[in-house]
Amino acid sequence: MANRIVIDPITRIEGHLRIEAEIKDGKISEAYSAGTMVRMLEEILRGRDPRDAWAFVGRVCGVCTTVHSLASVRAVEDALDIVIPPNAEHVRNIMFATQYMHDHVVHFYHLHALDWVDIVSALKADPKKTSEIAQSISNWPKSSPGYFSDLQKRLTKFVESGQLGIFANGYWGHPAYKLPPEVNLIGVAHYLEALEWQKEIVKVHTVFGGKNPHPNYLVGGMACSIGIDDASAINAERLQLVHRLLKQAKEFVEQVYIPDLIAIASFYKDWGAIGGGLGNYLVYGDLSPNGYRDPSTYKFPAGAILNKKVGEVMDVDLREDNEIQEFISHSWYEYAGGDDAGLHPWKGETKVKYTGPKPPYDFLDVNDKYSFLKTPRWKGNAMEVGPLARVLVGYGRGREEYKEVVDSTLSALDVPIEALFSTLGRTAARGLEAKLVAHWALEFYDMLIANIKNGDTRMANMERFKPDTWPKEAKGVGHTEAPRGALAHWVVIQNEKIANYQLVVPSTWNASPRDKNGVSSAYESALKNTPIADDHKPVEILRTVHSFDPCLACAVH
Amino acid sequence: MNAISHPHKNLRRVFVWELPVRYYHWLNALCILTLIGTGFIIGDPPAILTGREAYQNYWFGTTRFIHFLAAYVFLFNFAFRIYWGFVGNQFASWRNFIPTNKKFFSDMWMVMKTDIFMTKREEEKSIGHNRLAGAIYFLTFIAFGIQCLTGFGLYAAMSDWWLPNLFTWVAPLFGGDFMLRQIHHWAMWFFILFTVIHVYLVFYHDYVEGRGELSSMAGGWKFIEEEVFEENKKEEK
Amino acid sequence: MTTETLTKRPTYYEELRGKGYSRRDFMKYCTMMAAFMGLQQSGIAQIADAMKKTPRIPVIWLHFQECTCCSESFIRSSHPITADIVLDQISLDYTETLMAASGHQAEEAMQKTMKDHYGEYVLCVEGSVPMAGDGEYCCIGGRSAKQILEETAAGAKAILCWGSCACNGCVQAAKPNPTQATPIHKIIKGKPIVKVPGCPPIGEVMAGTLMHIITFGTLPELDGIGRPKAFYSKRIHDSCYRRPFYDAGMFVETFDDENAKKGYCLYKVGCKGPSTYNACGIMKWNAGVSYPIQSGHGCFGCTEEKFWDNGPIYARMPEAGGFGIEATADKIGMVALGVTAAGIAAHAVATNLRKKEIVDNLIEEGKESEKEL
Ligand code: HEM
Ligand code: HEM
Ligand code: NFV
Ligand code: SF4
Ligand code: SF4
Ligand code: F3S
Ligand SMILES: [Mg+2]
Repeated sequence: MANRIVIDPITRIEGHLRIEAEIKDGKISEAYSAGTMVRMLEEILRGRDPRDAWAFVGRVCGVCTTVHSLASVRAVEDALDIVIPPNAEHVRNIMFATQYMHDHVVHFYHLHALDWVDIVSALKADPKKTSEIAQSISNWPKSSPGYFSDLQKRLTKFVESGQLGIFANGYWGHPAYKLPPEVNLIGVAHYLEALEWQKEIVKVHTVFGGKNPHPNYLVGGMACSIGIDDASAINAERLQLVHRLLKQAKEFVEQVYIPDLIAIASFYKDWGAIGGGLGNYLVYGDLSPNGYRDPSTYKFPAGAILNKKVGEVMDVDLREDNEIQEFISHSWYEYAGGDDAGLHPWKGETKVKYTGPKPPYDFLDVNDKYSFLKTPRWKGNAMEVGPLARVLVGYGRGREEYKEVVDSTLSALDVPIEALFSTLGRTAARGLEAKLVAHWALEFYDMLIANIKNGDTRMANMERFKPDTWPKEAKGVGHTEAPRGALAHWVVIQNEKIANYQLVVPSTWNASPRDKNGVSSAYESALKNTPIADDHKPVEILRTVHSFDPCLACAVH
Repeated sequence: MNAISHPHKNLRRVFVWELPVRYYHWLNALCILTLIGTGFIIGDPPAILTGREAYQNYWFGTTRFIHFLAAYVFLFNFAFRIYWGFVGNQFASWRNFIPTNKKFFSDMWMVMKTDIFMTKREEEKSIGHNRLAGAIYFLTFIAFGIQCLTGFGLYAAMSDWWLPNLFTWVAPLFGGDFMLRQIHHWAMWFFILFTVIHVYLVFYHDYVEGRGELSSMAGGWKFIEEEVFEENKKEEK
Repeated sequence: MTTETLTKRPTYYEELRGKGYSRRDFMKYCTMMAAFMGLQQSGIAQIADAMKKTPRIPVIWLHFQECTCCSESFIRSSHPITADIVLDQISLDYTETLMAASGHQAEEAMQKTMKDHYGEYVLCVEGSVPMAGDGEYCCIGGRSAKQILEETAAGAKAILCWGSCACNGCVQAAKPNPTQATPIHKIIKGKPIVKVPGCPPIGEVMAGTLMHIITFGTLPELDGIGRPKAFYSKRIHDSCYRRPFYDAGMFVETFDDENAKKGYCLYKVGCKGPSTYNACGIMKWNAGVSYPIQSGHGCFGCTEEKFWDNGPIYARMPEAGGFGIEATADKIGMVALGVTAAGIAAHAVATNLRKKEIVDNLIEEGKESEKEL
């Protein structure tokens, strides 16, 4: 007999995710992923000024802050055929890279690490041994025995207080935790260091966008003018601040994140065979030195892979009516043309209709509708999006940079390439792309400097900012590669107002319910066959779900 | 058809607007025109090209200063007028403004038919404000109140003085400064439209009735037909 | 609310003092504890410190309809830094963003705090509550946000509303507010509520408000709508370094024009600084690096009620609904003025036709008198 378990709330994610799983013979036989909060932003945007949309959709998520704003201004610029100046492209890319490093590091240490790192075990670590291990994996200066023993004291004091706060009721001591106490202590140390570090890197957003979370964007470019001879615009001081922050971020990624990732992964190689899931991957691509409008130069190349065939990357067209479609067969919405239809986002509809149980409830009716997420499909296929998809597509497209980081990591861990299609592979891919992005960030910085040096100080193209310059009707799509995967917004503008606005978000791809054919999306598929040691403490479910870095506010919006 | 008016009417000089009312009127008119002018600029400042540094210019600050200065005068003047509504002569009394009985309304209707639609050719029967004018001035006083509330509600945040700070409760009531500004800005249009219509009507009355309406706000007196005078006298009794 | 009531449970230190032990005895006890825990000399002071403060005030942090950027902003706080707050100052017993436990274990942790610290914990709320239907638009653990809020609020000492979502409904409450997203103060009555609006609020403002409660044991002084005066009593506009340009009437006309490069005032490109109360201009963001205006974009009023419906971001006046595209007060006013002028002209003409006789009589009378002279 299968035993149905429910984990709700899934914590250490963004938003409200509920997982229901059938456990049979110590393994998950079926899993159901539900988003249980909705805000209906797509409806709220109707009839508003398209130039304001970035601010509304920016509020879809404060964790992957900026990516929706970016997709939004691009969608509107696409609709109105606005070409932004190179400086704005570089600044947007730098902000994008900043967001990546921040999001991936915070995910690794604060949202994911506690699935692998046992805080309580760290109390037993030998600070001297810890220091030796730390120094053997990285040159990071904060690794003396004194440093670790002070930290351990602080931790001990905390535990002794009896008030465990955020660490209360964790799965400490669960047999699935495999790290020696010393590595656990390193994990805790870097949990705290990353917490301090993350508030620094975001200052790049503050320089260009005035604040973080939720920096400001602008249709037509960026609002932060360059005035190298003015104290209140982007000048040498501001640029130097950005430069220093980007360099520091790169250091942290290279000297803390990546070594920790490899060190921890080496104790969990068995997770290289668990949690693979779909084997289909989708990337829209982004980050061009030559401007967003030139996909051939994207550093994250676009493409789709089916059935793990990394060698056969296919092209993707976001405008094509039958490529990307959203279904609602198992979602709490209704379509005018019937609930089994698939709609391209330009024709998308968001009419909510809740048919689930009345709260409080114990279980959802998974045979019927059971989530506020729609179910996106590419040419009918369920696709996984995110770091793993990007790394595989980059690898499959034969990009040298990708080959280098992937191959060296596989050999460092001594695992075959198949290990990538897994929970561990997903978590590793996130680190690897963070490393690439850390490097690219500085490239974009150099391009920005070079361009300003050449005398180009334009930051915004305001020619078509005024609504009376717009056509009566226009359609646009703007995409990016958000930290959690392929993101695009589709907008229809009529009579200077938004007539339709649809977001298809990375976590929508991954966390959605089944489609009309009963085919699972990425989370549900990845959870299948995961071994569960203790039904009451399903830390294994958290590992796989967290490897996707769920964001449900994004997914539902 | 010379029943309505005929040559050689006897006119009586009636002292209508006391000196304080006249002072009030012109000060008020001056304030309102100033507030409209400066308010307009505050709402939508013109683009002015200047090569000078910010500290060398202050025209926008000055505009606002004039607005606030006029606002204070306007407030005190308004307060004075309310006071005078209780102690002034019968033409200044608050009773002229607030419709309290049926007759007020029927008189108002009569004025409309005579002066607006011109379907009737009644002789003007009032001496001070006609009933319609009185009711409109009542609306105007409400608008004064709104403008003072919203204006000082906004101004409270910029001032340490207790007087504007009496108005700190206004912004929360309207959900914040933004709403106050909107109301304040919309209300400006009431004043603009009022002024235009009012000035026209003053000329109109002077032209059609020949009682010296225009000059009455200067000297204080109007010239009233003997019969109308007697009729009013009877009514008063 | 006084220090006494907030930290009603005696700390270890108070307990010992109450039993007649001296401060010296207390320090001895700490030394012993340190030895017992195998700590060095340096650990004693820390323990003493901790004991004096223990118990850390329990905090339950709920997440409803939100984007988690208030949590994100909170962890960006530089003084105090978040790690210190979470490890040394409060006991963050429930927050979906950071807590280790999930599912039943998470709920258990919350229930335990609600029971053991009834009447003592601080409830922080991030997000609005959808009141439509049976509350199904936001459910956690199968219970609706409304049910959870009401239960947790019952035993809370005070409620801190994080961000515009909890304070005024924020973006999901923008028209037409399909889920009936509702701010906390409209649901919970009879509890001290502190509003910390902003989208998100500045990290240090959040930490500062929380620390005020922890440090002084009282709620901060609040303004007319329940925001801490310390951070929300001044307009952006009154602390804006571009203010001299405003007073000088020097404005950015379009983004990235020459004036923008010189840092002129952003009033004409829609800055809502003159009607927005926040500490951005004073404290700035992310440890003083910048704030929206310093980075060239106007303030759009993110701490104010209904700011999403307060008109387009890039215009000073909102559009007036029902009057067609881009009808603002001024455009409508102009039209009304035109209509009035036309009306007056028509009236003047009509007067000269309909009242010709009367006017003629007057003129006649005047002329006769003149002749008689
Ligand atoms: C006939 C009376 C008045 C008119 C027509 C008028 C008109 C205006 C207008 C159009 C604005 C610009 C609003 C905007 O678009 O932001 C304004 C601003 C303002 N007015 Fe008035 N106003 C009047 C009376 C007052 C009074 C009595 C006060 C009291 C202090 C006042 C205080 C203000 C303030 C504080 C502002 C905002 C200025 C700023 O923030 O710089 N106004 N007024
Ligand atoms: C040529 C200019 C003006 C003349 C000759 C004039 C004349 C008059 C007269 C004769 C009255 C009494 C009318 C009646 O009772 O029906 C009056 C009342 C009034 N006028 Fe004017 N006016 C002038 C301009 C203005 C302006 C520019 C304003 C304001 C913007 C204004 C505001 C008022 C108000 C508020 C009253 C009611 C006074 C009260 O009884 O308290 N007037 N005006
Ligand atoms: N899914 C998602 Fe996001 C990301 N990354 C958005 O596009 O997290 Ni909040
Ligand atoms: S107030 Fe704004 S920033 Fe905070 S959670 Fe709500 S939408 Fe996000
Ligand atoms: S930029 Fe905004 S806040 Fe600053 S002075 Fe101008 S209007 Fe005021
Ligand atoms: S938009 Fe918000 S962040 Fe500050 S400058 Fe305005 S209050
Ligand atoms: Mg969508």
